[in-house]
This record gives sequence, C-alpha cells and structure tokens, in this order.
Amino acid sequence: MSEPRPIDINMDLAAARAGQPAAIGALILAHQRSVYSLALRMLGARDLAEDLTQEVFMQMSESLHGIESNEHLEFWLRKVATNRAIDQLRRRSRFEMTPIDDHEPMFGPVDHGDPLFQRHLEMHLAQLSPAARAVLLLRYQEDLDPTEIARTLEIPVNTVKSHLTRSLDAMRHGLAGAGREKREDKHR
Amino acid sequence: MNNDLESKLKHALRPVAPSDAFTQRLLARVAASRDSRPQARPTASRITRRAAWWTSAALAASVLAAVGIQHQLQTERERTLGLQARRQVIEALRVTSQKLDLAYQAVRTQSVGGDRDSGV
Amino acid sequence: MRIFRSSILGALLMPALAFAAASPQLVLPDFTALSQKAAQSTTITLDSTLLSLAGRFLDGDDPQDAAAKDVIKGIKGIYVRSFTFDTDSAYSQSDFEAVRRQLTAPAWSRLVQTRSKKTHADVDIYVMIVDKQAVGLALISSEPRALTIVNIVGSIDLEKLHKLEGQFGVPKLDLEPQK
Repeated sequence: MSEPRPIDINMDLAAARAGQPAAIGALILAHQRSVYSLALRMLGARDLAEDLTQEVFMQMSESLHGIESNEHLEFWLRKVATNRAIDQLRRRSRFEMTPIDDHEPMFGPVDHGDPLFQRHLEMHLAQLSPAARAVLLLRYQEDLDPTEIARTLEIPVNTVKSHLTRSLDAMRHGLAGAGREKREDKHR
Repeated sequence: MNNDLESKLKHALRPVAPSDAFTQRLLARVAASRDSRPQARPTASRITRRAAWWTSAALAASVLAAVGIQHQLQTERERTLGLQARRQVIEALRVTSQKLDLAYQAVRTQSVGGDRDSGV
Repeated sequence: MRIFRSSILGALLMPALAFAAASPQLVLPDFTALSQKAAQSTTITLDSTLLSLAGRFLDGDDPQDAAAKDVIKGIKGIYVRSFTFDTDSAYSQSDFEAVRRQLTAPAWSRLVQTRSKKTHADVDIYVMIVDKQAVGLALISSEPRALTIVNIVGSIDLEKLHKLEGQFGVPKLDLEPQK
C-alpha cells in the first residue's frame, strides 16, 4: 500500500500564515460566531462584544505563525477571547452590574413553551463571577469538557466542576422559584 | 432534571452571528492591518474606534468579493478533504485493529500454553 | 506530583505550550528519518475538525462506514505513525523512546503487554482513565520489520472497539486495565 497523502486541512491556515487575505478572511468567517458569542455573553453589550471580537481577530492575524492546527486555533481563540473578557469584567467597578442590552438578542430563537428560560439565563449570567460565567459558556456554548475548560482558563479542574455545579444549582433554584410564582399568579 | 436543564442551556447558548455590517468592517480592518505595523493597544474611546471602522468600510467590498469566491473554493476543497479524511479514518482504524489483533493472538496463544511472555 | 508540576508549568507558559501539556494526546516525534528508511510509511493525523469532517462523509448505509462512524463519535483525535521496512532491525527502541517515556506518566495505565516469541511482535496498549472513562489510548507495536504507534484521544468506548470485529478484524478484548 503506498503512503497516503497526508491530509492538509490546514490549507487555509497555511495560506493565512503566508498572508493571503482571503484565507485570513475564511478563518475569521469560520470562527467569528464562536468568538462573538463568547464576547457578547461575557460582556453583555453588543458594542463591547464587537470591540473584543475585533481585538481577538487582530491578534490572531498577528499570531498565526504560532498556531499549529485548526484545533489549536480553536483553543487559542477561546482562550484569548475568554481571558480578555474576564480581564475587562474585572477592571470594571465591582459595584457596577454588567449591563444587559435588552434590545440585543444574546441567544438564539426563544424556545417554544419555555419563554422565560432565556430571560433567567441572562439574569443568571449577569450574576456570575467572570470566571464562573466563562466556565458556563465554555461548557454549554462551546461544548468543552471540564478538563478542556480547565486548560483554556488555566484553572484547576475541580474549580471548573465547582463552578458548574453551583451554576446549575442556582439556575435550577431560580427556575423552580419562577415556576412557583407563575403558578401563584395563575391562581390569583 | 439536570439533563433537561443542560439540554436547554446548550440550545439557548448556541453561537449567534454578529451583524453582516460588523463582519464587513472586521474583515476590512484585519485586511488593512496586515500591511501596517502591529496595532498598539487601542486607547481611543469607543466612539472614535467605531468611526475608524466606518472609514475602512470602503475596503470591505473587495474583501467580501474575495471571500465569496473563497467560500466556493472552500466548499469544493471541503468535499475533497472530507473524502480524504474518510479514507484516512478507515485506514487508521484498520491499522489499529490489525495491531490489536496481534496482541489478541499473543494473549490467546498464551492462554492455550503455546507462547510465553504475554501479559495482561 | 508530576501532573501537578505540569499544571503549574502550563499556567506559566504561552497558550501554544499550555495546549501541549498533560493531555491524552501524545507528543509524537518527527519521524522523518525513519520514514526515509522505511519501504512504506503511513502518517495519519486526524484532529477533531477532520474527524467531524470525515463523519459527514462516512456513509451510514455502508456497514464499514457505519461502524467507523460509530467508533469515532466520541473521539477527538486519531494519530497513526506506521512504518514497514525491507530488513529486520531497521529501527531501534531509541526511535520511539520519547513516546514510551510519556506513557510512564501516572495518568497512563498499561492495559496489555504482549511479547510473542512466535511472531516476534511486541504490542503494548495503554489507556488513560479519567472519572472511570477511557479518554486516551496508546498502542505501540514493534515487529522485526514494522513499527506502529497509534494514539487515540477522546471518549473511547472500548466496547465499540470490540464491535469492530468483522469490520476491521478486531477480536473481542476481555482485558482489565492494570497499573
């Protein structure tokens, strides 16, 4: 059997490293949803999210020489986006609530039959610490497991698991409370 | 209950796309920056930065056209790569199974007392 | 302790290096020299992106493709380096010592060690178990005229690997991991 040609999925990556604008553009198009969504849900405001997204991709275009594969690029983008967002949130006054732009959808289409869920999620995210927020997003938006989240955020795996457990418990508690209120309202 | 909540979270937290206008500005900005020195960390206010984006939007049309063509090429390339990836998956699993079989044979031989030195 | 030190080191390094620390993915050496000596060599590098892409092109109606698709579901990477030589002893232990060394880490458990006087094939199989689930598999097969290293990363379902019997000739493995 002759040696199979090694796959070069990194064709865009190689082309981007060589400075081809179209290849860099293709990488941005492939990853902008993920980066923008992380930024939006971390920072809670569209203009802040756009600024952060731009910063991340500008840095990416300068750092391509150090990126080894598409998998590495995904890791790198998540890491830079979340860490920059965490830094921004920590620089804000601790008494300032993270602004939630009521007119900017942070999520996809509202789930039928559960219209309150996204509202609760939005409120819940705003109450979380920057690190806990990042953990939740990396788990449920990016579908990373705790080990990968720990590597991305450079925190212990147990800390990740603790954040997840507390977040889910708080959400369940909040949703149960909302359910009770809804039932009480119905009976008034 | 946990699975239901997690399922809802995954659904609600699916990535959302930024506006086309933002994408256009972003591509133009990155393309423009490739020929200049690395950008210093922005110190201007948000309003000034947003104004700068609009001025670079003039480059966006040509970049988007290039990206459009790239997208078509990308689709074709993706198919080629996908078929190649499929072949490589099959080959990887074949090689793995072949070597697992070597181990199995050694273990089986040992269990019938024919060949020493196999350990589990 | 080694894993803890790796974590601290990883926290201090750039993202590129932190990416490579403490992972079921082995750092495979550059085998260019070995490849040049080999009559036949196979280099397969399938990360999660490629596996996902491959999954879209595996035909669910074809038994072989369907079996492969099922196996790779929870897998995030498959890395194969395989060499066949025209003569005996064309390579040495030192050529893959760097790989063996990684498998002495506490996170890895040796599942199988076979040394066959009949076929002169030595096969070592290692698994990395996290929370009672296999998240990494490494196989080193050393034969007189062939060397194969396989590293599989991700949620490995050994039972599904068993079920490849008949598709890729994999026999059932009723083996328990050992330290």
